[in-house]
Amino acid sequence: MSQLTLLIVFDAVLLVTLLVLAFAAVLSPEPRRAVMLFIAFGLWLSLIWARLQAPDVALAEAAIGAGLGGALMLAAARRAARTASRSRGDDAS
Amino acid sequence: MPDFLLAMALVLLLTMSAGLARVVIGPTPADRMMAAQLLGTSGIAVLLLLALSLDVPALLDVALIFALLAAVAVAAFTRRRAGRDQA
Amino acid sequence: MSTEAILHALAAVCIVLGTTFFLAGTIGLLRLPDLFSRLHALTKADNLGLGLVMLGLILYDPNPFYAVKLLILWVLVMVSGATGAHLIAKRALRGDGEDAP
Repeated sequence: MSQLTLLIVFDAVLLVTLLVLAFAAVLSPEPRRAVMLFIAFGLWLSLIWARLQAPDVALAEAAIGAGLGGALMLAAARRAARTASRSRGDDAS
Repeated sequence: MPDFLLAMALVLLLTMSAGLARVVIGPTPADRMMAAQLLGTSGIAVLLLLALSLDVPALLDVALIFALLAAVAVAAFTRRRAGRDQA
Repeated sequence: MSTEAILHALAAVCIVLGTTFFLAGTIGLLRLPDLFSRLHALTKADNLGLGLVMLGLILYDPNPFYAVKLLILWVLVMVSGATGAHLIAKRALRGDGEDAP
């Protein structure tokens, strides 16, 4: 297989999986699951930037988009779940 | 030889896509976190292979950031809540 | 057969072996029945697979700075992977891993 064919297959796999991940993250009903899918989405998008030969953008996407953003959103999802269970009347504390 | 590295990167990418199924269906959040960890490690391998086959040495730094990111995500995931689970 | 050709052949063997480990880890992650056996399959696969791929890349491009950088990256991945697996297992053992908060 020539290099061009390999690159085309590589890009096709990257694109299709990115779309599937994006839909799964947006359509997910549960916040923590959506955040996990968002972290995976950030990793995948960073791979795409790396494939487009833009290592600086890939660096920023991996560090900010998936790493720090994912960690903050995990904390926010946990806080939202705790508030919801407390307002339902469960003994959360 | 660069073609061979690219082919190996493609195989690893397909492996990662299969592992994504565990992120989507995983019954517990711990399963999803484990799958995300495997995703990060395979991503590091793909980046290292791409750095040689596309001849972009700066991708090594992106791989370092991936390794840091996995540690940060796992730490944020397993952090304990202040009120409920002290023990 | 020149030295470079031998090194390249060795590199190819190492990279294929590393990819096989990643494949085995993913199959284990998808097929094994419970969380702890999946964790076991995962941690074996990613450390050894990444190590073999890196060994192959060092053999392919024998440059000391490159090798040191890859070695540092491997140690970082191993430390964070071991710590992360320990944290996930401890949290799952305490029964705090379910979807319900």
